[in-house]
Amino acid sequence: MLTMQNVSMVYRTESVETHALRDFSLEVDEGEFVSVTGPSGSGKTTFLNIAGLLEEFTSGTYKLDGKDTNSLGDTERSRLRNEKIGFIFQSFNLIPELDIFDNVDVPLRYRGFNAAERKRRIDHVIDMVGLGSRKKHLPSQLSGGQQQRVAIARALAGEPRFLLADEPTGNLDSEMAESVMQLLEDINSKGTTIIMVTHEPNLAARAKRNIFVRDGRISTGEPELQVAVGG
Amino acid sequence: MELGPIWRALIRNKSSYILIALQIAATMALMVNAVSIIQERTRMMSRSSGTDEANIFQIYSMSFDPAQDYQAMVAADLDAIRGFPGVANAVVTNSLPLRQGGWSQDLKTEPGTDNEGSGVAIYFVDEHGVDTFGLNLVAGRNFEVTDVSWFDPDAGPRWPGLVIITEAMATELFPDARPADTVGKTAYIDNDIPVTIIGVLEKMQAPWKDWAGVERSMLVPMKRGDGFARYVIRAEPGYRDELIPQIEQMLAERDTGRVVDGAATMTEIRANAYLEDSAMIKLLVFIVSLLTAITSLGIVGLASFSVARRTKQIGTRRALGAPKAAILRYFMLENFLISSVGVVSGAVIAVGLNMWMVQRFNLTPISWYIIPVAMIALWLVGQCAVYGPARRASLVSPAIATRSV
Repeated sequence: MLTMQNVSMVYRTESVETHALRDFSLEVDEGEFVSVTGPSGSGKTTFLNIAGLLEEFTSGTYKLDGKDTNSLGDTERSRLRNEKIGFIFQSFNLIPELDIFDNVDVPLRYRGFNAAERKRRIDHVIDMVGLGSRKKHLPSQLSGGQQQRVAIARALAGEPRFLLADEPTGNLDSEMAESVMQLLEDINSKGTTIIMVTHEPNLAARAKRNIFVRDGRISTGEPELQVAVGG
Repeated sequence: MELGPIWRALIRNKSSYILIALQIAATMALMVNAVSIIQERTRMMSRSSGTDEANIFQIYSMSFDPAQDYQAMVAADLDAIRGFPGVANAVVTNSLPLRQGGWSQDLKTEPGTDNEGSGVAIYFVDEHGVDTFGLNLVAGRNFEVTDVSWFDPDAGPRWPGLVIITEAMATELFPDARPADTVGKTAYIDNDIPVTIIGVLEKMQAPWKDWAGVERSMLVPMKRGDGFARYVIRAEPGYRDELIPQIEQMLAERDTGRVVDGAATMTEIRANAYLEDSAMIKLLVFIVSLLTAITSLGIVGLASFSVARRTKQIGTRRALGAPKAAILRYFMLENFLISSVGVVSGAVIAVGLNMWMVQRFNLTPISWYIIPVAMIALWLVGQCAVYGPARRASLVSPAIATRSV
């Protein structure tokens, strides 16, 4: 469902060219749980941005769910992001002025669902992440783990084909991180494809497949992390 | 439409938005009342004086020779002026509409000091007065030569018993009669001197533009025959400007012992009469424009700050599927809601302020339509002002969402 072939990304300034990704090729099948690890500056976030259609790339081919994304305009890319991808960010990225219900509602409004359908979906996903009694709370009234659960609910509300998680436990203590990981595993077990960028080897190891990125390429030199552990 | 979430977000973060809404409200209140005043002044300035303003001008002559036969001089001057090529007619009179100085007295329908009269502006004219001023006599007749007498300024007027009044004065005196039906009726001047109304004019304004009875005027068939003579001259169309220096020169040459001065067209007299009103309109337009510009800048500033403060939030919205147009719409809607609070509050303040000004300064109440027009104008100003920052917001990359700083 996600196919990248020889994708390169070059950031250019007047004097410097930075190769963030070099001939990056990857295929992720439906239902997989893939972790992406690598040192800082290795290209993990660039990969995530390109995979999530947040950024355009310099060369190569990227097909999402069979659709070539190279030639898409902003509106079409936005629609694809909204319909097929759920994002989970390291710092949750909840909108501080909106309560939990309205935060989860954000992507659904862009989808154009009517109010009843939106409410049904919001209630369902908020209950699913165990925050049914907190719908009218503001993000600032929740713990970090709860905020990340809300972000997961927001990502799931549109019933996307896959989740892109950027260091989803990076800002959480170990107990909350474990709870979020269990939630992600649970979601994956129900068929949602997950690609998770993480620094933490023990979390990466819980994915069904791990890829290690170094210098903008999938590396072959980190056997303990690059080996597919399942799938 | 995201009105609900936007409104709830505004309410939770209201301090900065309240300030801009208050600024919009103040602008709205001042704009509405300023426009109302401008409208009132413009309406007043556009009133017709009832005369042929485009072709009329005045010149006056001052003689200081006590041995001079002033009546003969005025009669001869009038003959000379009326015979001048390009002159349609001329009259010697005491004042003109809008001149801001003239003669007025009370006119009554019943004699006696106990009865209340109505003020009326008096113009002393001869049988050429109606034609010279270009007035429209709608009922009755004009003065005849035999009706006209000389006015001895030392003795005061000996009222000749015949007058022509305006429709407004006729209605004031006889509210139950049609103006035309007042011809032949008697009114009293100086409490008990009867004068018969022999004609009714459609319109002739009094010399005082701010007077409540500005439409109440009366022609009296008397000619002033002293050292000061104000000649009102109506030129044939197109001749006015070239006639002024020629008539001045002609009068000066006819008698070198006098001063010929005060040449002014009715256009100039009107402009002079409404100088303050005109200046007031310009000042109010300037103030309203300045306020609107300051409010626009305030909106631009707030929206720019808001966009800068929420860059990551915008990136997140983009990442969650908002196209550029949705971000643009979000900020436009947000401004629409802030402006709505401002203009609705401003409308209430505007009405209150106007009610106070009507009582305090006797102004006209604002026309109902000014408020919705001002609301729409300020909404549009707000939308134009916020467009730039909103467009910048729509260009925020969705990749901002994944940046940790």
